[in-house]
Amino acid sequence: MNKTLLSIAVAASFVLSGQAQAGAHAEIYADFPITVKNYTGTKTHSEAYTGQIARHTLHNSAKKLVSKGASLEQTKAYFSGKDEGRKIIDPVSKDGFPMLQTHVDKISKGKNLSGKAYKGLISGMPGSLTGAELLKLMLEKAAATEKGFDPLTGYDYTQLFSKFAMGAVFYNQAVDNYLDEKLAADVNPNSKAYKEGKPYTGKEHVWDEAFGYFGAPAHTMELTAADVYGIAKQKSDSFAKADHNQDGKVSLVTEMAYAHAYYAASFDKGGKTKYLHTIVQAFIDGRKLITSANGEALTDAQRSELMGYAQVIKTQWQRVIAESVFKYAGSVYGDIEKLETIIEANGDAAKAYRNYVKHWGELKGFALALEAGGVNLGEAGVKLNRLLGYSPILLGNTQVTGLVDGEFVQSPSISMGEYQVQMIKVQKLMVDSFGVEARSKDMTANLAKLVDSLGASMAAEND
Amino acid sequence: MEWLFEFLLSWLSEFRGLVSQGSKRVFLGYMLSAAIIAVVWLMWQRRLNFVAALRWLFQGKIWWSNSSRSDYQMMFINQPIMLLLSPLMLSKLALATALFYTLNEWVSRPLWPANISTFWVSVIFTSCLFVVDDASRYYLHRLMHRWPVLWSFHRVHHTAQSLTPFTVLRTHPIEGLLFGLRSALVQGLLIGVFVFVFADRVTLLSLLGANAVTTVLNILGSNLRHSPVPISYGKTLERWLISPAQHQIHHSQARQHWDKNFGAFIALWDRMGNTLEYGSSKQKLIFGLSGQKSKEHQLSSLYWKPFKSCWSYYRGKKLDLVSTANITNVTSEQE
Repeated sequence: MNKTLLSIAVAASFVLSGQAQAGAHAEIYADFPITVKNYTGTKTHSEAYTGQIARHTLHNSAKKLVSKGASLEQTKAYFSGKDEGRKIIDPVSKDGFPMLQTHVDKISKGKNLSGKAYKGLISGMPGSLTGAELLKLMLEKAAATEKGFDPLTGYDYTQLFSKFAMGAVFYNQAVDNYLDEKLAADVNPNSKAYKEGKPYTGKEHVWDEAFGYFGAPAHTMELTAADVYGIAKQKSDSFAKADHNQDGKVSLVTEMAYAHAYYAASFDKGGKTKYLHTIVQAFIDGRKLITSANGEALTDAQRSELMGYAQVIKTQWQRVIAESVFKYAGSVYGDIEKLETIIEANGDAAKAYRNYVKHWGELKGFALALEAGGVNLGEAGVKLNRLLGYSPILLGNTQVTGLVDGEFVQSPSISMGEYQVQMIKVQKLMVDSFGVEARSKDMTANLAKLVDSLGASMAAEND
Repeated sequence: MEWLFEFLLSWLSEFRGLVSQGSKRVFLGYMLSAAIIAVVWLMWQRRLNFVAALRWLFQGKIWWSNSSRSDYQMMFINQPIMLLLSPLMLSKLALATALFYTLNEWVSRPLWPANISTFWVSVIFTSCLFVVDDASRYYLHRLMHRWPVLWSFHRVHHTAQSLTPFTVLRTHPIEGLLFGLRSALVQGLLIGVFVFVFADRVTLLSLLGANAVTTVLNILGSNLRHSPVPISYGKTLERWLISPAQHQIHHSQARQHWDKNFGAFIALWDRMGNTLEYGSSKQKLIFGLSGQKSKEHQLSSLYWKPFKSCWSYYRGKKLDLVSTANITNVTSEQE
């Protein structure tokens, strides 16, 4: 007991000393001092995560290209290429929302997505492919479709690629690599520069890289979830919130929001959750702790505290993805409801089918992303894959069941109505297994609404 | 101290809600509509002029009798007790959610409901809720008269010797709790089933914040059930709907009226259970329990006696709830 209290006190004192050093910018992920011993360079601060931000722009750009029906050559340049001169396709300057950088190289050179994509097996899609292979296959298939949409298999490659890439690259790298094995004592030690001549230590950089993959602006703690959401959407009235250094342009490195940070903000702005700020605070607290070690190797107590922050980040981040699965399962449920009504009335179902496929792509992409977190999802993972299947239920009650010689094959499956019920089970699974709380598009929300409309049952009235 | 202050505030707010919310029987609007109906009926049936009808309706010997005064006291005291008991309440939402998931797990969702328009889904839901709620009221009310332990609590309501709309609140808290559980059970089950079948297209047709059907019937004078105004609907309608005169029979001391008209709104349940008795506009009844003592209007007796009765049943080993011997016991007590 006393030992525990002592370690808490020690840990707290380290945090406090870290706060003292970080000074006036305590709540911003910036301006951390250089602690590398004998550093002789010209840099004045130690945080660096430009490689991760470059990959965010590669992902955004590749997504945009798929949705516009670009060739495989074009999309591959952003997925697996490392060539110089790649223009950022997204995010780009908009009226009232000018961007500082226009080329990937301006952020970081020689980066791609494929090199960092998950190399483990993904069981939610057929063909026994690794995360990296699956992303590559998606881009190849997308190039053969009209703007990434394949009505025959029910695949929206824009969504599938984007949502899965966020998991297979950003989430995987952060939670399964940087916040996991690279926190080990003998890997990237804090007592040495990350690489010769760099202004950051091994542990400082490992932590920064994980932060970069999350995709939050450095000044997130000064913003609301709605602000961060508006920044990712490049809303002109969010510009002032984004432009933290007030240079009239949004820096894609420190002032923009991407990927799961954007999704965390989208759920948090509903008021039920605080994923974004909890995760960013844990990143800041962890970084301050590393900084407080002042270029010395982390003690066991420091490392164990750091693992505590990492665990908060991992749990909350996984929950953000599970919230997305929950939300899109609700969307797919609603899409089937609309689709069946239109079909019943012999109406034109093309638009409703397109929405169904789009939302399914988002749902499946996030579900696959959960697999890339480096933790065994156990029964929850198996159930999720079985409930979703390899594709949405198509109009003739068929579903993709395999990948043979590079082609997706279909077989007869359950009805759309039955599939709809499976979406409810998916939502329940997300609640039971991951503890999601924001619960957008909750299929059971109507239960609560009806209970409220009936008022309290408690009254001492007789008859 | 803060909790006490908050508790007093909730008490006051609940008390205000009694007369200001359309979900409550003694809502001012329903009282007013009942008064209008009563005055018109008295002028038409009893040939009274407007002033005489008002005087008859608001006679002091009814509204300020021992019996009525204890109604008012109970109305005030029951509020905080019900607030304290509310945590014991069954969660409608938990029940509805559990049922919803269970149905999804075991039953395949029918496809035909997709053809029913949202409006009709609401009509079906609202009507089902009204009918099932009413049936469950009948059944529980009947049990209250048949099971000795339950009767010991329900008899508090039957000790009312003058009926006013506030008599509806002359209810022992234990009975209030049972009625609350019944209501939560019915609502939770129906919500679970309806959302399973009709998904997010289920809404309650509500009027003044309550089930529209119940509200309409309340506007049409439900409060006259507990009143001396014997409005009868005639035999044809009374086969389907319980009239004020019929419910007054339920409160009558006369032997032939015992265990009659348990229903709240729908008379069908009484017909099915052989407990229906038709009313008459000319009926003259004595309310209360025969042989009851005047001290039965004392609060101590109203709140405490049911527990004492339960205890004596227990001591006398007469707690076999289904034996007819005990039913004889209960009725003999009424005598």
